[in-house]
Amino acid sequence: MATVAEQWVLVEMVQALYEAPAYHLILEGILILWIIRLLFSKTYKLQERSDLTVKEKEELIEEWQPEPLVPPVSKDHPALNYNIVSGPPSHNIVVNGKECINFASFNFLGLLDNPRLKAAALASLKKYGVGTCGPRGFYGTFDVHLDLEDRLAKFMKTEEAIIYSYGFATIASAIPAYSKRGDIVFVDKAACFAIQKGLQASRSDIKLFNHNDMDDLQRLLKEQEIEDQKNPRKARVTRRFIVVEGLYMNTGTICPLPELVKLKYRYKARIFLEESLSFGVLGEHGRGVTEHFGIDIDDIDLISANMENSLASIGGFCCGRSFVIDHQRLSGQGYCFSASLPPLLAAAAIEALNIMEENPGIFAVLKEKCKRIHKALQGISGLKVVGESISPAFHLQLEESTGCRERDVKLLQEIVTQCMDRGIALTLARYLEKEEKYLPPPSIVHDLQNKIKWWQW
Amino acid sequence: MGGGNADSASPIGRAQMGRGRCFLETAGVEASAAPQAGRASEAGRMNVGVAHSEVNPNTRVMNSRGIWLAYIILVGLLHVVLLSIPFFSIPVVWTLTNVIHNLAMYVFLHTVKGTPFETPDQGKARLLTHWEQMDYGLQFTSSRKFLSISPIVLYLLASFYTKYDAAHFLINTASLLSVLLPKLPQFHGVRLFGINKY
Repeated sequence: MATVAEQWVLVEMVQALYEAPAYHLILEGILILWIIRLLFSKTYKLQERSDLTVKEKEELIEEWQPEPLVPPVSKDHPALNYNIVSGPPSHNIVVNGKECINFASFNFLGLLDNPRLKAAALASLKKYGVGTCGPRGFYGTFDVHLDLEDRLAKFMKTEEAIIYSYGFATIASAIPAYSKRGDIVFVDKAACFAIQKGLQASRSDIKLFNHNDMDDLQRLLKEQEIEDQKNPRKARVTRRFIVVEGLYMNTGTICPLPELVKLKYRYKARIFLEESLSFGVLGEHGRGVTEHFGIDIDDIDLISANMENSLASIGGFCCGRSFVIDHQRLSGQGYCFSASLPPLLAAAAIEALNIMEENPGIFAVLKEKCKRIHKALQGISGLKVVGESISPAFHLQLEESTGCRERDVKLLQEIVTQCMDRGIALTLARYLEKEEKYLPPPSIVHDLQNKIKWWQW
Repeated sequence: MGGGNADSASPIGRAQMGRGRCFLETAGVEASAAPQAGRASEAGRMNVGVAHSEVNPNTRVMNSRGIWLAYIILVGLLHVVLLSIPFFSIPVVWTLTNVIHNLAMYVFLHTVKGTPFETPDQGKARLLTHWEQMDYGLQFTSSRKFLSISPIVLYLLASFYTKYDAAHFLINTASLLSVLLPKLPQFHGVRLFGINKY
């Protein structure tokens, strides 16, 4: 439309301004007023805070009574009456000066005072010193860490593994790394405290299903499916997870993994399996609950376990596909922002893995002993055994509760004290009573170790 | 680990270590000097490649040093590029500048949601547009005022240079409204007809 010759003349433009239509000029006037209003408006936050009058503020200040810095606590609080252990907590443990058979430490394969482990740890101590003094990203990665990750990945037959320096922090960091606000997590009611803290940190929507009840889980998944069909755009951006434990710490039961895998594929959720108690216990070679049921490890999206039970070390690991595990190297809070595992413990864990790979027969022996102990404890009047027969960690609960939790705890503590007098070290299951979502009934936790000699009692 | 805070230590703090003043005396001095030093240094600095504790860096982008100037230069560049196309007349060029600027502003500020990086707040801003994330939802901050005024200024200029033609008026006004309405505080978090909600 415009030719090169057409000149743009200022006079013509100003003339056009005088001849401009009224609506246009009015609109421009409004816009200029709008600019002035913008320039003079104050910044404010959108959420209205309720304004209290000065009198109301004074009243509230008057009413407030500070709580005591140290709340009153009863004299027989367990934290005030602790037992003192001298020496290493191996098969025999010296409690309060008295030698007892150790049924209180989670030392399933008896590797805690294994001389090979001790030698490997000592050699590592001489080579590296004690601590790493840094997180993994800041000069805290040693060759033993990479070695241990490699060995664990090979042992569990997954692509990659990642090490955490504290067992509790493993699952509590893994869950919030993947599940964020707006995502949905279906979790068992008997999940352990570490899982609960991980779920709390993730800020996701939590849906609890009854312990080991696949029908309840299916009902919840179906409800979610109906919701998703109503709002498909929202469903496309929400991730769904199922968090279960292989061997539950609070009940000693095994999760029904084959049904879970079927549900997973049907309702498109991802499974996070916490194998702290089942790693090194279940399965023909100790690979955990997936080997126990014969399920392909690629069906499980993330396996998390701590090395503080069977591997007799400290820390934890997660294993799975590289694509999944690599994400935790930047998003796992316990991995990035905590000092890495001391090299002597990593070396001890590698040696423990060596022992596990060399003698695959120990798992069958452990299962045998579990069954025997389970059978032997069946007939005690007043106490019932809660847990699978092949689970090395099970609970002894009162058959009939006295009605009050404190009295139950007192009674069980009496039993534990009597047992200790007779040379058997047991412990009550301890919970942070106010923090747990579904507090399990009070019980004595009984942990079997591999090398308990039957003629000792 | 603490390495990132080295540059924000107050100079008085460093000096007192050398001179050994008594604790009570320096505590008061340090308390008054430290916040001022901190405020000046963090006002417009873009935290690239440094350790910072900003939960969602998207909130601070439009406050970074030099970004307003960069924005103005970019609009100027767009205009110059359009001017250099031989077969566009002046009114068409101005209308095009206005429309393309408003379209780009709408897409970047009011359509794209969330953050391209992971934030430590577990995805609080996942469903928020960049405009809603700016300054953590604080209304009428200086960046917001700047970004509200710039399309209006462009519109006024475009009206002048199109000689108040009716057709250009319709296009420019529609484009301006599309970019001014989402900026109102009443429209914070509003998604009409469920468009762009998730």
